[in-house]
Amino acid sequence: MASVSELYDVTWEEMRDKLRKWRDENYRNSEQIVDVGEELLNEHASKLGDDIWIIYEQVMIAALDCSRDDLAVSCLQELKRQFPGSHRVKRLAGMRLEALERYEDATKLYDSILQDDPTNTAARKRKMAMLKAQGKSPEAIRDLNEYLEQFVGDQEAWHELSELYINEHDYAKAAFCLEELMMTNPHNHLYCEQYAEVKYTQGGLDNLELSRKYFAQALKLNNRNMRALFGFYMSASHIAASPKVSAKVKKDNVRYAAWAASQINRAYQKSVMSQPLMSSFEEMASRGLFGPKNMC
Amino acid sequence: MTVKLTTQAYCKMLLHAAKYPHCAVNGLLVAEKQKERRRDGQPAPVLYVDCVPLFHGTLALAPMLEVALNLIDTWCKENRYVIAGYYQANERIKDFRPNQVAEKVAARISENFSEAALIVVDNSRFTLDCYEPILTIFEHHENKWKCRDADVDCCEDWAEARKITSALLESRSYENLIDFDNHLDDLRNDWTNPEINKSVLHLC
Repeated sequence: MASVSELYDVTWEEMRDKLRKWRDENYRNSEQIVDVGEELLNEHASKLGDDIWIIYEQVMIAALDCSRDDLAVSCLQELKRQFPGSHRVKRLAGMRLEALERYEDATKLYDSILQDDPTNTAARKRKMAMLKAQGKSPEAIRDLNEYLEQFVGDQEAWHELSELYINEHDYAKAAFCLEELMMTNPHNHLYCEQYAEVKYTQGGLDNLELSRKYFAQALKLNNRNMRALFGFYMSASHIAASPKVSAKVKKDNVRYAAWAASQINRAYQKSVMSQPLMSSFEEMASRGLFGPKNMC
Repeated sequence: MTVKLTTQAYCKMLLHAAKYPHCAVNGLLVAEKQKERRRDGQPAPVLYVDCVPLFHGTLALAPMLEVALNLIDTWCKENRYVIAGYYQANERIKDFRPNQVAEKVAARISENFSEAALIVVDNSRFTLDCYEPILTIFEHHENKWKCRDADVDCCEDWAEARKITSALLESRSYENLIDFDNHLDDLRNDWTNPEINKSVLHLC
């Protein structure tokens, strides 16, 4: 089989830079990481300098995703040799045990790290990840709440908790987590938009109005966020269609929905879409909605 | 009531699950709009001719799901299709039961298409060589979703479906599969997947 560098005509530097980009942006494209990383480590290890250790770590985790235990073990061995006794490497060994579904052995490993260093957040997170992997969502939620009492600024943890709550359909608590995130990241349009989606899913007129406002806020922060634009259209349409609103509120929301529909049409036109999909939206907008029922 | 899938429908479902192995994925199944019933009064088997992959990751939020249902319903009307089923592949490998989201969406679809089926992909039997169909088909009887393990009859032509799905998985065609989430990220991404449809046809 042709190598990555041959197939895509890239140099080893480009491969190394791609790996860095995937690392920085937290991509989970494990098959590609294994392809690129394995070749880089096999053919160009001597040129990588100190970067090689973090690449071993990245490739090892990707190898676990792809069931490449051989590759994972060889990366782990290099890391163990270079950093004997390191907690960071120990945690990787634990992840390998998790991949083999040896959860008790992994727990023992993580507990030994925590005995040495009770503030080691990585080991605590792996224990919670194991609960999630075994379908023990309520326990994972309980442990994550305890963790957040201690590490109140950990955004990754707040986001993970919001996802766990959404999957358990506890939208009120998911909203609370997203509120924490929005407070500390007021310019992040994705948190605004997710919060709006949760509020919309909760349902009820008050939540719909809140949802429309947060979709609008997300649009203000990033006017190319299509989910926010669609969400703004849907929430305004539902409010306008509700029998409980005053004539003025209805009129305002009809106007908002019309504005959103025209923005969506413009966005489709600009994107050089194939005709059928654009006409779908115009059709849909003119018909009104599928039905004002919520999923909640 | 029997449910059958064309190669294109079966294949795209599995490609969607293969593209996001670490996420839950879901999507819709469409059938051609039937005009007549069979002479003997028995309902004709529902044939899913295509599938539209929807989301990956968080499946339990309403707004984008409603947008998708509306847009796809309109597209269906323009193409004489009807939304007739729903599929889901769960996040964890051993989890093959339909959850609340699946039941809610399938119930919503049943309002417009009474014989709607809910299909769950069995992740634990997912292999490259597609040894057997890996679906569990749930049908709505007496207010409950009852399960029926799918055998090779669930596909219109299992030998063909198996050959083509296996070939596309092997060639990593799933990297080019577009779901509705991808479309929302960039409107130019076409959720009807014309390229994959062409590949399937080409291999037939």
